[in-house]
Amino acid sequence: MNTVESLVTQIQGLSGNSSDLSALHNYLKQAEESLRSELSRLLPFLHQLDPSVHSLGYLYILEACTSSPVWGDQRDMIVSTTARFITFCAAEQIRMAPDLFINVCKRFKEQVMLLEAPIRGVAPLLAATRKVQLNSEHLTPLHPDFLQLCLLAKCYKAGISILEDDIFEVDQPRDFFLYCYYGGTICIGQKRFQKALELLHNVVTAPMSTINAIAVEAYKKYVLVSLIQYGQFSTSLPKYTSSAAQRNLKNFCQPYIELAMSYSSGKISELESFVQTNREKFESDKNLGLVKQVVSSMYKRNIQRLTQTYLTLSLQDIANTVQLSSSKEAEMHVLQMIQDGQIHATINQKDGMVRFLEDPEQYKTCEMIERIDSSIQRILSSVELSLKIINYHKEKPFRCYIWAKYN
Amino acid sequence: MDLSALSEALASESYERIADICDDLMLKVAAEGVAFQDEWPYAIHLLGHFYVDDINSARFLWKSIPVSVKENRQELVAVWKIGQRLWTRDYAGVHEAINGFDWSQDTKIVVTAFSELYTKRMFQLLLSAYSTISIQDTARFLGMSEDDATNYVSRHGWIVDHASRMLTVKKQPLVAEQKLDPDKLQRLTEYVFHLEH
Repeated sequence: MNTVESLVTQIQGLSGNSSDLSALHNYLKQAEESLRSELSRLLPFLHQLDPSVHSLGYLYILEACTSSPVWGDQRDMIVSTTARFITFCAAEQIRMAPDLFINVCKRFKEQVMLLEAPIRGVAPLLAATRKVQLNSEHLTPLHPDFLQLCLLAKCYKAGISILEDDIFEVDQPRDFFLYCYYGGTICIGQKRFQKALELLHNVVTAPMSTINAIAVEAYKKYVLVSLIQYGQFSTSLPKYTSSAAQRNLKNFCQPYIELAMSYSSGKISELESFVQTNREKFESDKNLGLVKQVVSSMYKRNIQRLTQTYLTLSLQDIANTVQLSSSKEAEMHVLQMIQDGQIHATINQKDGMVRFLEDPEQYKTCEMIERIDSSIQRILSSVELSLKIINYHKEKPFRCYIWAKYN
Repeated sequence: MDLSALSEALASESYERIADICDDLMLKVAAEGVAFQDEWPYAIHLLGHFYVDDINSARFLWKSIPVSVKENRQELVAVWKIGQRLWTRDYAGVHEAINGFDWSQDTKIVVTAFSELYTKRMFQLLLSAYSTISIQDTARFLGMSEDDATNYVSRHGWIVDHASRMLTVKKQPLVAEQKLDPDKLQRLTEYVFHLEH
């Protein structure tokens, strides 16, 4: 008979090397049933094990412990125990039973959310994602959970770290949708609009047989971020976009399409009154903040347009043309744009004039050569990767999709 | 709660490391289940984000602070006042917020360091954006009296016109690092060669 006591002894004895571990793994698989029958007395046994040494055995017992609902003080203890386990466990051991590990992590995430303490899960889930990941191109089922906790805990910066990896391997389409949507939201918060666009674009254009809510919400943000970043939005989607998305997305996002049309007129008062009439809609979508950024980006867009026509212009003329109330306000807008590198200009306060300049970049500094070199490296490596994808992608529509995107 | 990494960074005046250290430590103590909020050095943490010019992270940190903590710490609220001015790009208002509070000893060190850095940033901004600017505006951007501001910019070669109370900006030639890694050049050459053949 497999008593828990003898199981613990086995775990302590067989966690040393890989042949012992595979023997232990077989033993644990057989003991899974009996573990579940002894749920109530399992937890104390964990104290006899070291999460960093006996990771595989610890995982089996912890998974059984967390398989039934927990309440009250027990919840707090389970959360602490799991956090410690995830932080210290040995990656090569838990990768022998990745499904169990993912179960434990997903339940852990639910528990920290029930405790209304999402921040408790941020560091452990980042560690978990890295441990269960086979390589940096692999999207695990834990990626979206980690990003969701980052959003809830307002730790956006922590989320950025995994968004820098290029993803080429996806197990579940839903994980990919959520990963890109949450990731896009995090990038918007950090004002990394270029990266946000890339991620939201992935959601909108990914294969889908029917339209889904994640894609609709992503499309709304995609419209707004396009306007902020490029000052324009085109409703036509690339050829590889699913027909479900091509046909339906626009219908679900009508106010956003109209907003983009109003933006293209270049008239600030028109845009503002449009936003005012549709305010409630944007507010209930939780996009009002982003819509406000769209409005203020229009001043910048209009000033940028002036630089294409004029070499010098008075601050008063700028204020009149872009509908700002005073020349001082125009000066502040120009100053901010210079600070952000959006235009090249010098302000002459004495004469009240602005002189627009050419981009001073001459593409000959070391820094620029570094940048060119790293861009080329990145493109070359993604071409190589896209060749690999053909061989190892599990889900056919996703394989074709990623293939189309990177070629 | 072990904040020795933070103390060490403060002692060695490595203010640019504060934000990262605090972010990591906060996630670590939170994962251990410590109720850190009441004792967390939020004021220093916020200043750390200001110091590396990451106002977005500062804003999210502020939003994550429990209301009870905000209500009990005047100094923290005063630090966030600086943050609000940074967020709205009220350049002169940043200096006012810095000077408008009697900071405790520990906070004062970091506030002063940020203030000096911010003045330098503002000087660089004026340098890149203006050809002429009034003494009055310069003083407000730099957070100094008009006399101090005039002296400060004169040392950088700006010309004072006392009659019109205007300053003519002296542009500094950009000194760019030109030493190149030959490997990089070799690689770029190979790309071009590859494309042409």
